[in-house]
Amino acid sequence: MIVADRKPLEEILEMIKDYEKVLLVGCKGCVTVCNVGGRKEVEVLGAALRIARKKEGRPITLDETTIERQCDPEYLEQIRDIHDQYDGILSMACGVGPQFLSEAYPNQKFYPTINTKFMGGATEHGVWEERCAGCGTCLIHKYDGLCPIARCSKSIMHGPCGGSAKGQCEVSDDIECIWDTIVRKKMEQGRLEDLRIIRENKDWRTARDGGPRKSIREELKK
Amino acid sequence: MNENGLKSGSNLEKVLVAGHFAFTGECGPPKGANVEHLKEKYEHLRGMVDSVNITDNQTAVVRMSSVAASAIMVGDGIEPNYQMVCRDRNRLAMMADILGAYSLGIKNMLCLSGDHQHFGNHPQSKNVYDIDSIQLIAMTKLMRDEGKFPNGEDVDVPPKMFIGAASNPFGDPYEFRVHRLANKIDAGTDFIQTQCIYNMPRFREFMKMAVDMGLTEKCYILAGVTPMKSARMAKYMAKFVPGMDVPEELITRLEGAGKGKQAAEGIKFAVEQIEEFKEMEGVAGVHLMAIEWEHKVPEIAEMAKVLPRPTFD
Amino acid sequence: MSEQFEPQIVAYCCKYCAYAAGDLAGSMRLNYPSNVKVVQVPCSGRVDIIHMMKALEEGADGIYVAG
Repeated sequence: MIVADRKPLEEILEMIKDYEKVLLVGCKGCVTVCNVGGRKEVEVLGAALRIARKKEGRPITLDETTIERQCDPEYLEQIRDIHDQYDGILSMACGVGPQFLSEAYPNQKFYPTINTKFMGGATEHGVWEERCAGCGTCLIHKYDGLCPIARCSKSIMHGPCGGSAKGQCEVSDDIECIWDTIVRKKMEQGRLEDLRIIRENKDWRTARDGGPRKSIREELKK
Repeated sequence: MNENGLKSGSNLEKVLVAGHFAFTGECGPPKGANVEHLKEKYEHLRGMVDSVNITDNQTAVVRMSSVAASAIMVGDGIEPNYQMVCRDRNRLAMMADILGAYSLGIKNMLCLSGDHQHFGNHPQSKNVYDIDSIQLIAMTKLMRDEGKFPNGEDVDVPPKMFIGAASNPFGDPYEFRVHRLANKIDAGTDFIQTQCIYNMPRFREFMKMAVDMGLTEKCYILAGVTPMKSARMAKYMAKFVPGMDVPEELITRLEGAGKGKQAAEGIKFAVEQIEEFKEMEGVAGVHLMAIEWEHKVPEIAEMAKVLPRPTFD
Repeated sequence: MSEQFEPQIVAYCCKYCAYAAGDLAGSMRLNYPSNVKVVQVPCSGRVDIIHMMKALEEGADGIYVAG
């Protein structure tokens, strides 16, 4: 799923400082699963914003709604009737949300309340880790199911680099050196020769480096 | 290969091919355009070493570009070993810089991954890592030997670089390090300069593995030496420098030397190391990284009896 | 200021213990301050951030969770 963190309250307050009537829109997709932008988080942020504005002596009308997904135009219709009743709209979805909303309602202003971080999953309750860099050409099978592109700080294809120590990345003790893990796994399985291959330079065109990407499924197109 | 059978014809290559024990130095470019400071640093190395590594934004701290600093040295008659890291440039910039460096008379090049920018003074930077150090070696070799760019197009006058790479015998997983060295050799490196060595038993073991695997037949290995200035420096390196293995005994030895004598003890240890490397099977030379201590190089070279350096006409 | 500040407290009390204790106190004719408003919850584990936020938003100065 897409994993995100909520922006600091001050930053969100600054975005809406001139507004008196605001709608806060949550998303029941990934950000609900990673506990950052679902119905509950919408309620908590909504209350926090109202309290903060009340404290400033400038109370705000802040309505809340949470829609199925902000990345599907059909669900965005859920706010069509009300979208123009507000000075501005806060989106509590990943970076896709405010953009789809802006495209659907060009006359309204939309603001992100969360910082979208990565594609990953929960490794324990309350902890999410990056697993995929979305490079567009998956080569996980070459590394025993572990992706050096997403999980090595240098995305190197022949690791580990000289900075790997005790299974940790040189960048931080909190980062696993994925190359250490890959190598150990290969050694345990007696398949070290898999790592004696000089790999071709990666073709980054399928990644973001090739420009914004599109995925077209002809059989699904109308 | 050139007509003389050499790949690049660099002084370093000639020294190694002739079977001499190589002795290389290192110089970090200034944090600015201070050419005088650069000259002052490398003048200490003149005649003391076969080639001087010019670091490329080492520890991700921005400095004068290594290609420019190397070119200044070429103009001054000292042979540089131009370092290039994969952190700061994509393959286009790398190829352009390799061609540019060669055009400026640079004949040695060291291919490195580079420290992550997180360590440096611009941690906000985007990291590039379009290709990694092993792919950089392969790309440079392709340009030099096949006269081709990776896209198959011809290089109009190939860059005849003597290709080098680094190896850290102490990084983890230890058992794999020699295999990664083998990968670098497969990719086409001509010589290796290792990470600073302090743990001698472990390095002996590493070299034995390299010799047993036949790697020292295929490439020249220069052992990395950085003299310790003090016990404090040793402790700092042990704790904060990634992939550094500083045994407790060395720290104790430096501390035992007493106040004001730790630097001399550090140099003494370095000289002992060099003496041992001269005899160690598979070691083709020493790479002396006297960090911000360039003026000590003549003294160390003298004590280690590596002078005079061979010359070629 | 002549008036002394008296905080409004919302107390979320578990039906099986804290609330029951409150009941018992009542039957024993023990008083508790009138600025504490008791809300019965099926279990104190049910109390969520949002319950506290709502209470604060509505003017509470402090929250008790008792269970």
